[in-house]
Amino acid sequence: MSRRLTFDIFRYNPNDPKSRPRTERFTLDETEGMTLFIALNQIRDEQAPSLAFDFVCRAGVCGSCGMLINGRPGLACRTLTAALPDTITLMPLPAFELIADLSVNTGKWMRGMSERLETWVHLEQAPEIDALELAMEPEQAEAIYELDRCIECGCCISACATARMHPEFAGAVGLNKIARFRADPRDRRADPDYYQLVGDDQGVFGCMGLLGCHDLCPKKLPLQTQIAHLRRGMLKSALGKS
Amino acid sequence: MSLVRRHFDALIIGAGGAGLNAALQLANANLRVAVVSKVFPTRSHTVAAQGGVNAALANVLPDNWHWHMFDTVKGSDYLGDQDAIEFMCREAIPTVYELEHNGVPFSRLDNGRIYQRAFGGQSQSFGGPQAARTCAAADRTGHAILHTLYQQNIRARTHFFDEYFAIDLIGDDEGAILGALIMEIETGEPVLIESKVTLLATGGCGQVFRTTSNAHINTGDGMAMAVRAGVPLMDMEFFQFHPTGIAGKGMLITEGVRGEGGYLVNKDGERFMERYAPNAKDLASRDVVARAIVTEVKEGRGCGPQGDHVLLKVDHLGEEIVSKRLPGIRESSQIFAGVDPVLEPIPVFPTAHYVMGGIPTNRYGRVVVPVQNGPEEVVTGLYAAGECACVSVHGANRLGGNSLLDILVFGRAAGQDIIEYLKEHPNHRPMNEAAVERAMARLGRWEQTGEGISVRELRDEFRKVMEDHAGVFRTEEIMAEGVEKVKALREKLKDVRLQDQSAVFNTARIEALELENLIDVGLAIALSALGRRESRGAHSRPDYPERDDKNWMSHSLYFAEGDRIEYKPVRTKPLTVESFPPKERVY
Repeated sequence: MSRRLTFDIFRYNPNDPKSRPRTERFTLDETEGMTLFIALNQIRDEQAPSLAFDFVCRAGVCGSCGMLINGRPGLACRTLTAALPDTITLMPLPAFELIADLSVNTGKWMRGMSERLETWVHLEQAPEIDALELAMEPEQAEAIYELDRCIECGCCISACATARMHPEFAGAVGLNKIARFRADPRDRRADPDYYQLVGDDQGVFGCMGLLGCHDLCPKKLPLQTQIAHLRRGMLKSALGKS
Repeated sequence: MSLVRRHFDALIIGAGGAGLNAALQLANANLRVAVVSKVFPTRSHTVAAQGGVNAALANVLPDNWHWHMFDTVKGSDYLGDQDAIEFMCREAIPTVYELEHNGVPFSRLDNGRIYQRAFGGQSQSFGGPQAARTCAAADRTGHAILHTLYQQNIRARTHFFDEYFAIDLIGDDEGAILGALIMEIETGEPVLIESKVTLLATGGCGQVFRTTSNAHINTGDGMAMAVRAGVPLMDMEFFQFHPTGIAGKGMLITEGVRGEGGYLVNKDGERFMERYAPNAKDLASRDVVARAIVTEVKEGRGCGPQGDHVLLKVDHLGEEIVSKRLPGIRESSQIFAGVDPVLEPIPVFPTAHYVMGGIPTNRYGRVVVPVQNGPEEVVTGLYAAGECACVSVHGANRLGGNSLLDILVFGRAAGQDIIEYLKEHPNHRPMNEAAVERAMARLGRWEQTGEGISVRELRDEFRKVMEDHAGVFRTEEIMAEGVEKVKALREKLKDVRLQDQSAVFNTARIEALELENLIDVGLAIALSALGRRESRGAHSRPDYPERDDKNWMSHSLYFAEGDRIEYKPVRTKPLTVESFPPKERVY
């Protein structure tokens, strides 16, 4: 016997003057292997044509479908309804600008963070296209790759009390990016440079250590360790020790 | 309605690997470049590419670009243009090095060089032993590349129009392209981008099929825009079905799984690829493996209660290899197939994956069409690159690892050529207001209210028709019926009405515009497929089982005007080396 699922979904379109924030209830029959991606599309197709939400890859790699699922940030496309109770509450990710209903502008936030933290490899000079790759230890490459797995879904920001209070806070996603470039021998920046970017309350010293980011990262990035290492590195840099 | 107008040197539609690599060249040259994307750039489908990018770096086994070229020509079933293929295989090497310098975290070998894995259709010495040519960042290579390119574009201050949907190209009476009408998705506000040059880099159209590895967004928008602007689509009958999609779901399991030693078995536990491709076995070309799987299932050797899939075995590789080299695959299998590949095999079946055809271009990314003086005259001001384009380097079948290569090499080449083009064409051409009005009218059509068919109803029916009538095996009868059905569905578009009439963030309107694009592209696929009476690469016809080099060494061109198909010859002469003459293709 399949379950009858109840969805309580946040509805509000700030661009529409007639729209008021509210929760709407929908029900549908659970099917085998149903994900929230499948359920939400079914609701939009059959019951609520104007329901707004974001999906792109539907395979957990693009990072566009973050939302609050029964109060916890997560990726809707890889959340099986089977793992949830009969009643499912869906809200948009907090801390981001609301576009409508479950759709938030994570892109704008990520773009601002990338510009502030200069999240790209800073090279000594423009790359020579014919030069061989820089040799790198496999372990070092793996360490960079491990941190490069971030899909910028925004779950860590929604799970972060500091980010909720300080819109300019780099958040785990930003601090992880700094850790990623700090680990990369191609980037010419050193700790004093990174200190300029994240050595304050908007950066690594703003983190209160609640670690909701670490608990809720859909990609299971080692955020706790990275933030700790970065904090230690920045402190040493500030004290003039390297 | 008031219309906002913006001016740029170059307009790039699409922010995947091709669009971003082109934009990077232009922004680095200090040109004013606008990138329009219907999603935030790092959500583009390049992010989903798993296995890697081919380049003959010879880091693991001996290799050179000429062998890579041979494999690509052979893989294309001799339909690829050999000048373009030579160009791509030569450029592959510096292209990968450039990416590495820009920060892509490639996996490494013990000697510190870029890790390369074996992929299907790769050989040493022109058909000899297996080669290892695919440069990989574990199994998330596309993600690593896309994020790096986006980061570099932020550094270079490329102007992004994020979450804008492109409606139509704007052309003048001489056929030159002057820019495009786009719409901000959140507000529904149209914007006219006037540009000296426009590059289409909108990616593929896998959403024409019901079961696909492609993202929600891969709706052939750029191809359909080109078709409506009078540009033909080339070789659209060649659609790649990736052998290993998660059965019933379509999500991709990379070929890298087989490259790392995984293999396919049927319900008898038989490693059946040994029968179809005695040498290459599970690493035969994708079309060969996809047909083998469908044949196994059709002949009753499928697995599961319905006998509707086969199994991909990975468990013998051990947890360490799976976790280290294929972590994303382990995760996807657990979520979408409910199996841990370390312990049990993954249920797989072919899934619509990649369109070899597209907007015809030369190797500089310039769109070429037959007008008066031969089959390849350039369209002024229009470029295309990536999956939406057809250079053609993939011919009738693309090799794994060549699509990331295609988008990077030709995105870059287009960017470089646009820089030269803009030196010679420093001014905007006068805007064609009549064409702007036509595009606005097409958009306005979706404001009609009343009773009618829903977008979903028509879309579901259309995607089912495409799957049934243009799938892995195709016969005259099945395809002819498919063409009629698609044409009938195109007529039905007139009766579609939106249930959501809000102007702002109206996703239903976007879906309706996408459906129009899908149907335009779907008809190109169906008609091109019906036209080609031979079996070549991904186009497999039981009623014409042989490849026919005497009559069919030609590219097909679909024109929307009159729904007609024309043909042009394959370019068999490479740039500097001897041509590879067609040979029987065995693996």
